[in-house]
Amino acid sequence: MKKGIRFLFSMKFALMILCLFVLVCIVGSVIPQGQTEIAYETAYPGWSGMILTLGVDDVFHSWWFVLLTVVLCVNLLGCNLIHFPGIGEKGNHPIPAAPAGEEPMLLTGNADDLLRRMGFRSTRTEDGIRYGIRNRIGRWGAWLTHLGILVIIVGFALGQIFTAEYTVYGVPGTTHPVGDTGYTLTIDNFTIALRDDDTVEQYTAELTLTDAEGRSVSGQSSVNHPWDAGGMRFYQNYTGWAADLVVYRGEELLQTETLCAGEYLTVRDREDLILMFRAFYPDLVTDSTGMPASASGRLNNPGYLYGLYYKNELLGMNVLRADEKITASEYTFLFVNPRSYTLLQIKRDPFTPVALLGGGILLVALFIAFYLRTEEIWILPGEDGSEIRGRSRKGSLLYREKLAETIQTCNEVSK
Amino acid sequence: MNFVQVESICFYAALVGYFAAMVLFFVFFAVKKDSAGRFANVVMVLAFAAHTASLVVRGIGAGRLPLTNQYEFATSFAWGISLCYLVFQWRFCFRALGAFVTPVVIVIFGYASLQNREVRELMPALRSGWLALHVSTAIIGYGSFGVSFAVSAMFLMREKMAHSDFWRQNVPEGRKLDLISYRAVSLGFLFLTMVLVTGAIWAEQAWGSYWSWDPKETWALVTWFIYAIYLHLRISRGWKDKRAAIFAVVGFLCVIFTYIGVNTLLPGIHSYA
Repeated sequence: MKKGIRFLFSMKFALMILCLFVLVCIVGSVIPQGQTEIAYETAYPGWSGMILTLGVDDVFHSWWFVLLTVVLCVNLLGCNLIHFPGIGEKGNHPIPAAPAGEEPMLLTGNADDLLRRMGFRSTRTEDGIRYGIRNRIGRWGAWLTHLGILVIIVGFALGQIFTAEYTVYGVPGTTHPVGDTGYTLTIDNFTIALRDDDTVEQYTAELTLTDAEGRSVSGQSSVNHPWDAGGMRFYQNYTGWAADLVVYRGEELLQTETLCAGEYLTVRDREDLILMFRAFYPDLVTDSTGMPASASGRLNNPGYLYGLYYKNELLGMNVLRADEKITASEYTFLFVNPRSYTLLQIKRDPFTPVALLGGGILLVALFIAFYLRTEEIWILPGEDGSEIRGRSRKGSLLYREKLAETIQTCNEVSK
Repeated sequence: MNFVQVESICFYAALVGYFAAMVLFFVFFAVKKDSAGRFANVVMVLAFAAHTASLVVRGIGAGRLPLTNQYEFATSFAWGISLCYLVFQWRFCFRALGAFVTPVVIVIFGYASLQNREVRELMPALRSGWLALHVSTAIIGYGSFGVSFAVSAMFLMREKMAHSDFWRQNVPEGRKLDLISYRAVSLGFLFLTMVLVTGAIWAEQAWGSYWSWDPKETWALVTWFIYAIYLHLRISRGWKDKRAAIFAVVGFLCVIFTYIGVNTLLPGIHSYA
């Protein structure tokens, strides 16, 4: 049992988990994720059954990936618990032996000068041997690195469990409920800033959030600048075209609905008659293959691609220009008022800051581990001078080289 | 003369300079004369200056940091490797390293020259201060891994050239090469971690999700895992010298795949790059 636990917390086991993560990540990036069964059957004939059974179609949300992550956390936690007592101790470390085949480093100059040049602020002397240590914090580097990773994973996992996510889309002037939060969101305005070359500079939605008691707060959300309100974050995520579809029965106005491209309208008194607004071309042209296309993103020559269905049978599909009508039986359809709609993603994830805090800890910890290396020095008095020994946990060779150079400088200065 | 022409002149001057430096470094190894090595290094510095000028001119012309498409990142990647080489060369004083770094720089620079060099306006998602930080850290990180690759390659070759006096005089001993490679990996690892953290912050602001298992993200994580394994193997299994050198070479191949392979073969939200 003890042996098993020791193995679970060991670095050997950590290496095995890391190798497994590498393997899983490669599989998850090479095999397309979240596809339909038919897509896997087509792409991987003979393997699709195994892919779906093992959850390889959604590797990063599979139970075994979660288990692997939990095991990594246990390993990191155990490793940190085991090493915690040893990191803080201040006891004297045994003097390292002089490296085999190397001349002992002899100091004939001033020891205080050497310590100052090497950055040792204080030393203690025991049995005539002076001992100095600097960058003691360096010992915490690996420990804090593990802690940072743990905080990231915990923040991410809690976020996955407790995040509430909603989508709202619509044209300016419309109001929509925000999921089950009790809030409503009004899209006051939506603008697309275009450059001279017709490329998009920014999408900006002006919004008003109203709670159940009728209190409102207004703000704007644009790409890279989400809006924070009501404990939620509003992201400007997508845009498309919408238009009002007006339906007449004979001369009588029957209904008017705002449709986003991709949506359909069911005729109110004839439910088996459906008109689908398939696509919109703001600057309609015909391309070299005779297909409709848009010459620019500007609203110069609107064109509406529609499909008309009766009892699920396609009656017709065509592109309408502005003011052109579709007539089916006694019904007439007309598209008017084309404009952009906005799609907003709304999130409430109180654990994002936790994950980011973990990232911060990780960065600081790696800096400590790599650049605040703990360095030790021993000054052993002798007849011809003092013998100097040094040790650095990482990169002892380079540290000893620096030490040798500094000793030489001190020796020359004292002459 | 507009900025595109000035940038082109600087770009090709850098390409020629790097190529000349590579040839001179090889000459340094062939004729075994210190003067050739010194001259090669001077040419390398000049090529780096021209390269820096090409990036600065492009940045001024575009009105932003030139870090947003495959061409810009490729040329910046090569710049990062050159910068890391010069820093490591200055810090550890051995110019023989140039013979191993310049071919890597030339290959990546050559790849950059094949990309579309047109200056385009940025899509809204790329108009973020985090982009500059995210990609700049990637350049330094990948540059450091490039240097660790070159030092490790040097280590592996040194074993075979142990009998050569020239190698003994101009190339540090194996243990030191191993440590230099480790230092380069450490620097690269720290910066790769910054890449992941800054990328996560940026993604959260732009797309509302700081991690979405996009292929590029996943492969950056794979690279991070591989170098984490390298660092752990050094501590726990004593993997130093030859095995560590081989691992550093494999790690850099993973870096190259993350950079070029993923964009080409595994499209995702980083496909615009």
